[in-house]
Amino acid sequence: MAEEDSEWIIESIVGFLGSPEWLIPVMDFVENKCTVFDDEDENKLSYTDVHQQYKTLVEKLLENYMQEVGISEQQFLDACTSPFAKSKSLQSVFQPVLATDDFQMFRSLMAQKNMELQLQALRLIKERNGELPECLTDGVDVMTEMQQQEMKILQEVLQKSKEEYEEEMSRRLMSGEDVGSTSSVCSTHPTEGRAESNKSPDHTAKPPLSLQVNDSADTVEERVRSEPGSGREEVSSKSQESPKLSPVVSSSSMESRVLPAVTAPLKSSQPISSSISQAAAETCLEEARREAGFSKPFTELSVSQQEQLQQRAAYLRQQRDKLHALKKEQQRTKQNSSAGEAPPTLTAAPTKSPVNTVQEISAEERKKLQKRKHLADKLKEEVIRK
Amino acid sequence: MGEAQKGLLSVIEKLKGSTEQEVRIVLLGLDNAGKTTLLRSLASEDVNTITPTQGFNIKSVASHGMKLNVWDIGGQRKIRPFWKKYLENTDLLIYVIDSADKKRFEETGLELSELVEEESLKGVPVLVFANKQDLATASPASEIAEGLNLHTYRDREWQIQACSAVSGEGVQDGMNWICNNITNKKK
Ligand SMILES: Nc1nc2c(ncn2[C@@H]2O[C@H](COP(=O)(O)OP(=O)(O)OP(=O)(O)O)[C@@H](O)[C@H]2O)c(=O)[nH]1
Ligand SMILES: [Mg+2]
Repeated sequence: MAEEDSEWIIESIVGFLGSPEWLIPVMDFVENKCTVFDDEDENKLSYTDVHQQYKTLVEKLLENYMQEVGISEQQFLDACTSPFAKSKSLQSVFQPVLATDDFQMFRSLMAQKNMELQLQALRLIKERNGELPECLTDGVDVMTEMQQQEMKILQEVLQKSKEEYEEEMSRRLMSGEDVGSTSSVCSTHPTEGRAESNKSPDHTAKPPLSLQVNDSADTVEERVRSEPGSGREEVSSKSQESPKLSPVVSSSSMESRVLPAVTAPLKSSQPISSSISQAAAETCLEEARREAGFSKPFTELSVSQQEQLQQRAAYLRQQRDKLHALKKEQQRTKQNSSAGEAPPTLTAAPTKSPVNTVQEISAEERKKLQKRKHLADKLKEEVIRK
Repeated sequence: MGEAQKGLLSVIEKLKGSTEQEVRIVLLGLDNAGKTTLLRSLASEDVNTITPTQGFNIKSVASHGMKLNVWDIGGQRKIRPFWKKYLENTDLLIYVIDSADKKRFEETGLELSELVEEESLKGVPVLVFANKQDLATASPASEIAEGLNLHTYRDREWQIQACSAVSGEGVQDGMNWICNNITNKKK
């Protein structure tokens, strides 16, 4: 095929990739599905389904277009292999297409969009309120000192119980029990820092994926509404990264084949604030439970654990209500009711609860705080300096 | 023309600027077999902070002028039904076995025999890593090969390699076999 043919075809496809016919459905997809994509090293099984759906979408869009314009698959194939298609300047344009074939590229595209939307949501809140509500800034300016102190305490608690745990393990070893499979579990080395370097250079070096269109206010609002769940996305895979020293986890040496029932339905009989439905209450509770890293169904937890969870659930709910209110307020400015009451402080007091539960929570908290701080730093960069 | 019939997306990789050959490798085996440990050791990363995999990990490793994209899927019983979703377009299967876990030899054998029946793995070479050879109670690779009936495999290349993902011993030998078999097979 003549070189110009290839060029024409590629140019036409590039044009399509910049048109609303392509951008709108693709953006819609990415924005709607990106919330589960976090920056953990490990991938969730659900990513695969989303990737599959993405492939189907892209294939359909491209096929429709080619049919419309009258490009045959063979012409497309030839064009794709032409040197022109491989020029540097076009590679970035093709990225959203290439992401169908490259999971890691797809994943970074989704994770980046997720981050972007979170930042937008934060920015929006800031614009509305003049400043960020406390729940979104703690760990940054206000909290730094307190946080540092808390970190210290947490560190000590972690260290102490690690020692206890190891003692226990060596005692068990002496008595000849099989503990082999937990040998790596008791480590407390943070793995966070390494996560970045794990990725192959090919994938970290990629420029931002070019799916930029003006996000409609709708999306941002959506996002604001779902923002309180930001902890939610970190839940499942995250709990693995944190040091696992609680009895719940260490007992898994023999039970490791059985996954904890993560989504076990909760039948809480505790009355929870009447402003929300029982179903919503259970969702909050469930979320809190997962966020706290408890792998047991609610009803099997100890009383103090249950109490903690109730507290967390209340907190999550409050956050959600608040953001929900914010959204409403945006839609109809007359309804600006309950937008700004202070949330309870984020961190659980580490010294009061039984040691083992504290570790699970504090490790989670620590990561969450770090993440928040990271996010807020970005926000500062993007919003405050501009 | 044959390629075009597989659908539009099968040609999309052609759009890529790089000409480096990419190989898709899937790493499977029971929970606790040492898959993630092996993956990390392939990527020369720390193997001391690994927890059971709830989803999957991917690492890309450069070897013999190829880019090996290695997919490590969690092996817990609850995750095994998802394995199927990761088999398509696989160039090579690595199956990892805890050589010291005799109690589960039968279980791991069953899983492997189900895997090799999968249509999408038809003709795909299999490398079995008889892992944890550093443990005194580990069974030798030859014994495991027999238990798995590897010699009955037809129409596919296979190899069993004794190794220790923790010490790294034997891992490179396995990788060499992989690269030889891939280059032989792919253009
Ligand atoms: N002694 C010894 N232990 C090993 C070796 N390879 C892995 N292990 C240990 O076996 C345990 C399980 O290893 P993982 O790599 O998490 O196993 P996995 O196959 O990824 O398990 P899942 O993610 O649950 O499917 C860890 O404690 C490893 O340290 C080895 O070669 N020798
Ligand atoms: Mg694993």
